[in-house]
Amino acid sequence: MSRKDHPHESEFAPSMSRRAFVRSATVGTVVIALGGAGYCLAGEEEERKARATNRPDGRPKLPPGQYLLNRIRPMGGQEGDPSPGGWRFQVSGEVEQPFTIDMAELLKMNQVDQTCDVHCVTKWTVLDSKWTGVKLADLAARAKVKPSARHVIFEGFGGYTSNVRLAEALAANVLLAHKYEGQPLARSHGAPARIIVPDLYFWKSTKWITGVRFVTSDKPGYWETRGYHNHADPWKEERYG
Amino acid sequence: MGDVDEVEEVKTSSKPVAKPAPAKKKKPQHWRPWLRAMHRDIGYVAVGLTFVYALSGLAVNHLTDWSDGDASFKTYSITHEMGPLQGEDQAVADELRKRLSISEKPKELYRPVPDELEVLFDKSSLHVNTATGHVVEEGKKPRFILHVANWLHLNRGKKAWKYFADGYAAALLVLAMSGMFMIAGKKGLIGRGAILVALGIAIPVLYVTFSGP
Repeated sequence: MSRKDHPHESEFAPSMSRRAFVRSATVGTVVIALGGAGYCLAGEEEERKARATNRPDGRPKLPPGQYLLNRIRPMGGQEGDPSPGGWRFQVSGEVEQPFTIDMAELLKMNQVDQTCDVHCVTKWTVLDSKWTGVKLADLAARAKVKPSARHVIFEGFGGYTSNVRLAEALAANVLLAHKYEGQPLARSHGAPARIIVPDLYFWKSTKWITGVRFVTSDKPGYWETRGYHNHADPWKEERYG
Repeated sequence: MGDVDEVEEVKTSSKPVAKPAPAKKKKPQHWRPWLRAMHRDIGYVAVGLTFVYALSGLAVNHLTDWSDGDASFKTYSITHEMGPLQGEDQAVADELRKRLSISEKPKELYRPVPDELEVLFDKSSLHVNTATGHVVEEGKKPRFILHVANWLHLNRGKKAWKYFADGYAAALLVLAMSGMFMIAGKKGLIGRGAILVALGIAIPVLYVTFSGP
């Protein structure tokens, strides 16, 4: 007998009882939740290992509150011109010899292949990422930074800036990078060049970089003036200001 | 019959009896059907924009959950093995365009080192190792619907959109207010309605109180 033929069932009668609906909804929610939990647990062993492993400086490879990804995420931003031919990088501020270089000049400088971990404030970390570029310390040496300089401002396309203490900016692992995992930088990762500051949250590693300015006093940058921490140490979870 | 009974009662009664007051008739509330009609019609008009704002809101709210951190665009990277590529930059680029079916003309050809060639198009790039023929094609494509929804939600369109967005916000206020009164219910706003409205107000108030700026 069809539903229409049934004398006690109107055309508008619910096709499912309230109890059946609640039961189905509950089961569905549990299944989805368990699926999500399974997804989260998938990388747990790798994460546990990373937390248990220390860097040479004694800090854990995986900072607190972070989870692992295999490759870096682009994370948006106002994209600059990816043209390597048109790219220029200006070193300015508290330096004795300010200069501007293009990609050809950058490639002539001493190239460094570096493997390092990067940590995004949105809680993902990529271990052992490979970058190629020039040490910022080499560029600073060429510009002859004045003793009055205390901070650096990384300048990106469209007015984006990030501020880093001078000592941290001149650390040996800070690069002006043009390659990631052996390939020229992808557009979404800041092509043709970006800064890499591995020991601070990744927003400090300005993409579509156009210059570095050495300054005497600190000047919070794009995200730092929008509620994010001025220093951004991942091991201290300096996410928000 | 009724008339006879009344007459008899009057006849047999020694004292005059006051007539019972007629039961108060509930005044029909003419405004509710109008309210419902208005709510329904504004609701119809608001459906399209509600989808735009809700979809975009969800997308932007969960921005960091998107694999490439961008709800509007999807980045892609494809690897091609083309075999060794020889010749001038332009010839190599033409050969690649032909074999990869790319009709667009490149904006720039750049050779950072002898074995590498960068072929840049408007929204994509080819990173070519001419010695091995290993080619990485990368770029980004707008996501279906979300690209446009976000563009509207974030008000990146022309200034006129501001007026539509304001109108939509006003319509939502009307829907919220009329929704409370459009169906009388047994207890109206005093019963379950009051609890649910209070809950809706309490959520943001409590959140701001305990976790606010």
